Amino acid sequence: MHTNMAEPMELLCWGGDWDLPSVHTDSLIVLAYAKFSGANLAVKSIDWTWRTITASVPQLHYEGTTVTEPTQILNYLRKQRFNADYELTAKQGADTMAYIALLEEKLRPALLHTFWVDAENYANLTRPWFTSHSPFPLNFFVPGRQASLALSRILLTKAESPLLNITEVEGKIYSEAKECLNLLSHRLGNFHFFFGDTLDAFVFGHIAPLIKAPLPSGQLQKHLNQLDNLCQFCNTILKNYFTDASAEKRMDCSPTATHDPVDANLQKLTQLVNKESNLIEKMDDNLRSSPQHRPHRHETKPSALASARNSTPS
Amino acid sequence: MSLAAEAFVSQIAAAEPWPENATLYQPLKEDQILLSDSASSLAVQTFLRMCGLPVQVSCRSNAEYMSPSGKVPFIHVGNQVVSELGPIVQFTKAKGHSLSDGLDDVQRAEMKAYMELVNNMLLTAELYIQWCDDYTATEISRPRYSSPYSWPLSHILAYQKQWEVRRKMNAIGWSGKNLEQVYEDVSQCCQALSQRLGTQPYFFNKQPTELDALVFGHLFTILTTQLTNDELAEKVKSYTNLLSFCHRIEQTYFKEHDRESQSGSSRHSKGSLP
Repeated sequence: MHTNMAEPMELLCWGGDWDLPSVHTDSLIVLAYAKFSGANLAVKSIDWTWRTITASVPQLHYEGTTVTEPTQILNYLRKQRFNADYELTAKQGADTMAYIALLEEKLRPALLHTFWVDAENYANLTRPWFTSHSPFPLNFFVPGRQASLALSRILLTKAESPLLNITEVEGKIYSEAKECLNLLSHRLGNFHFFFGDTLDAFVFGHIAPLIKAPLPSGQLQKHLNQLDNLCQFCNTILKNYFTDASAEKRMDCSPTATHDPVDANLQKLTQLVNKESNLIEKMDDNLRSSPQHRPHRHETKPSALASARNSTPS
Repeated sequence: MSLAAEAFVSQIAAAEPWPENATLYQPLKEDQILLSDSASSLAVQTFLRMCGLPVQVSCRSNAEYMSPSGKVPFIHVGNQVVSELGPIVQFTKAKGHSLSDGLDDVQRAEMKAYMELVNNMLLTAELYIQWCDDYTATEISRPRYSSPYSWPLSHILAYQKQWEVRRKMNAIGWSGKNLEQVYEDVSQCCQALSQRLGTQPYFFNKQPTELDALVFGHLFTILTTQLTNDELAEKVKSYTNLLSFCHRIEQTYFKEHDRESQSGSSRHSKGSLP
């Protein structure tokens, strides 16, 4: 159904690191969806080219047309008959749209803040990475431009207009993001995947960088690591779709399917948690003494379910 | 508000019952209020009626500036002021009235997701049509927004608001869209809502929740507001179950007040549903 192409479709995206095919959320979404639906994409990374500042990434080129923005690209792929959502009911299609809106509104501001606005992460992780992956002399401009775009997006959408002060908004966006992660964890439950590939792709694109990046100060990452089923979801996708190229190894959504706990990943996660436990003092006073603790009540449910299912790692 | 302040406020809120003189403030109904504000205000009023909490609607030309967050509507209850549907839902929950207690966790996740969908798509589309479409902005939005003020203040305030909204659209990536794409997004959003509603009376079981209030607020306002063209209303009308949903809520919660709240021959609002 998807052969006989004159030339393969070309995707421009940021390069990969930390076990991920790409470090950029939107690029990951498209890459994941392409793997799920079996589309053959020629992936071209824009690292070390002038496109780091000129192109809006991700970008799909095919037969003269250019499509940007993950939603548009996914629509385009569907029109080209790479549709992985055939068996979705109408209600699930509607639910997909709703959950994607939830991700964009609640989780993305906190992701932007974690990577681009939080001073420690930005100085120690994000800026060096993007600087080292951009050609001279763009490496002076690219990270700064992305950071200011991220900051303005957060302030314009989340900050209430007289204030426009990032510290006021920080507590709010992190608590909303933790709530969003809890909601996703509830929805995923014991299954290995969400319903429908589009939602899987979007959730994967948002949480994979958060799980895998070695963030110096990552309270959101800590929270996410406690939600076992989301971490399993992410690692499963990485293992099945991005380490070996066989798409037919996709597991069924059976709650009792056994799986090997990926020891290497678990060790890395444990190391991350240990590293971050030393940085707990950096957390905001507000967050510690606030009704923030409410989300922890929900947390015990998914991890209790997950721990009953997990075999203990050796 | 910071989180600690919010916790403090909700503790105080829980202490007192809902008073009789609670007031909801919104911009002037006849001349000033715009589509998006009218939708948000109607959503809050519907929510409070669904909870059975009495509230008086008071129209003020400076409602936006009185509001603690800069957004309308806001309610004045006892000695607290709360704005926007989300915080108002939390506030009423602290007082012991909640519509979504019967939902389990997965349903609550879905409800929040759909509320975000409505905010993300419908509200943003309304703002886009009002302020980023030049024709609508010149003919309707700017004159209405600045009607209580005299020149040159009216000029300044209207353009300032337009600039603010356009900046926000730019930040979330909507500035590259044209009007057709926005109408298409509205249509997709309505399709999702229509599919989720199906043949049920409300979105979740037989009881209304804040999602029903929010959807009703937006759809009813879109259907009864006259813009430069009727395309937005037509998109909504093509989903019959959404139309009957709006009728049903109007009949159930607004029937007895219909005659009193019917505005006169105002150019903006057409009154009840066609």
